[in-house]
Amino acid sequence: MARVRRVGKRWWVGAVGLLGLCVAAEVQPAYSQQSVAVRAGLVKGPLPAEDPTAAAWATASVSEFPMSPQVHWPVRITDVTAKSVKVRGLHDGTNVAILLEYSDPTEDPDDAAALEFMVGDTKAHFAHGQPMAQVEGGPVNIWYWKNKDGKGSDLGAKGFGTLKPHGHQDVKAKGVYQGGVWKVVFSRPLSTEHVAEDTQFKPGEFGSIAFAVWDGKKTESGQPKEKGSEKAISSWWYFRADAPPDYSPYMYALLAVGLALGFEMALVRRLKKGS
Amino acid sequence: MGGVLIRPIILTVCIYLFLKFIVPILPHSAPLPSSLIFLYLMLVMSGSVLFATLSGESKDAFFQPILRFLTGESGGALSSARYLVLALFPLLVGWQTYGSTASSDAPPGENRTIHPAPPGEYTGLSNPVPKTPENIMYGKGLYASRCAPCHGNFDGKGFAASGFTPPPANFKDPTTIAMLQESYLFWRIKKGGVGLPVEGMPWKTAMPRWELEMSDEDIWKVIMGEYDGAGQKPRTWDESE
Repeated sequence: MARVRRVGKRWWVGAVGLLGLCVAAEVQPAYSQQSVAVRAGLVKGPLPAEDPTAAAWATASVSEFPMSPQVHWPVRITDVTAKSVKVRGLHDGTNVAILLEYSDPTEDPDDAAALEFMVGDTKAHFAHGQPMAQVEGGPVNIWYWKNKDGKGSDLGAKGFGTLKPHGHQDVKAKGVYQGGVWKVVFSRPLSTEHVAEDTQFKPGEFGSIAFAVWDGKKTESGQPKEKGSEKAISSWWYFRADAPPDYSPYMYALLAVGLALGFEMALVRRLKKGS
Repeated sequence: MGGVLIRPIILTVCIYLFLKFIVPILPHSAPLPSSLIFLYLMLVMSGSVLFATLSGESKDAFFQPILRFLTGESGGALSSARYLVLALFPLLVGWQTYGSTASSDAPPGENRTIHPAPPGEYTGLSNPVPKTPENIMYGKGLYASRCAPCHGNFDGKGFAASGFTPPPANFKDPTTIAMLQESYLFWRIKKGGVGLPVEGMPWKTAMPRWELEMSDEDIWKVIMGEYDGAGQKPRTWDESE
């Protein structure tokens, strides 16, 4: 009899051990995943909207995205200078600033960079929102900076050849070249009045973002190495301006723990009475 | 605790281990999604409970150990296990509540259909270009200049591929062109990424619309070059072909 009881206990230990193994197998290790999103953290102090080298940027999480030559449109290029871009974002609840950082061996007046966003909820093709055969696409909002202009431009497009500046210019940009690296910061209010043309950032919600970089180094022909649709690009990734901290899930969890504990105690008490 | 309870637990664990670790290594199989494994385990557990409660006697035999465990009558080492379960249950409920109410840090999930259905006019088209060594070689030449920058040596690893998501297709992979008809490739090459239906997420793909730059005949030759270079054969309706 005693032997039977010991075997029974061993069964339980084994079963619990196996269940533990199963749970462990389901828990995924926290791999450092490839960047798929830029997260703009909420800051309380001043936003470094016009200073790409500000110390505040060190507090922002960095995401890195690979860049490809633009091959989608017939006027294409096969090799580009920028192989990847590092991106950081910060916002203060009113304005958002996005820092683009990439290697470029030379500083040239025609060096340029751009961010691209979808406008509204309508999907837009990453290549300037060009028309799609079976999907009604929307426009894109492009924030453009060129070294020799020294400022940002707020542009819109819905297909190749339709790129034009908006009547309103809400975007600011500033670039700093240091040690073979461009740091370009773009900024704009999180929301604007021009909802049909400008992307609108709702804290806590993900939107789409894409990147473009031009190396303006002059070639022997006197033309910039990269210009127009000959550029380094990415397709769509995600962007989110973080929402203010929300502590309500902790409260709900505490409430649930209390309810579960109460249920548990009532159940055991009732079972004891019954038995 | 009696064997009445142990048997379903062992059965559930064994089924789980089989689904999780054995099924993926079976020939022509793939890892099962966690949701499907969970569904199977729920079915197994429901079946076990139904089986164990078919008669009043078996029902008592099934529930009595649980009651004894919960009320602390089992004694011995199980008392410690009882306190552990009673402490873990509320914590688990709290954890689940937090998980379902806290906003996710992850971007929205994407369910992109890789091979969506083509428009009717492209279904069943046959390649009108004779499959001669010259045509295949010509198609491979076009592939090298037009397609290889992204699709590489038919493996999807061209030098221009890294920045694109979704990545360019790997034609050597048996789940790409080997399971498609030539007419499907003709549609995809001719109309490009922007020709995809909504489930193919056309707004994300970099595939050019090659009808702007290549004739239909050249596209058919590229298709022949692609299959030959990747060492694959197009899917056909007639297996004897």
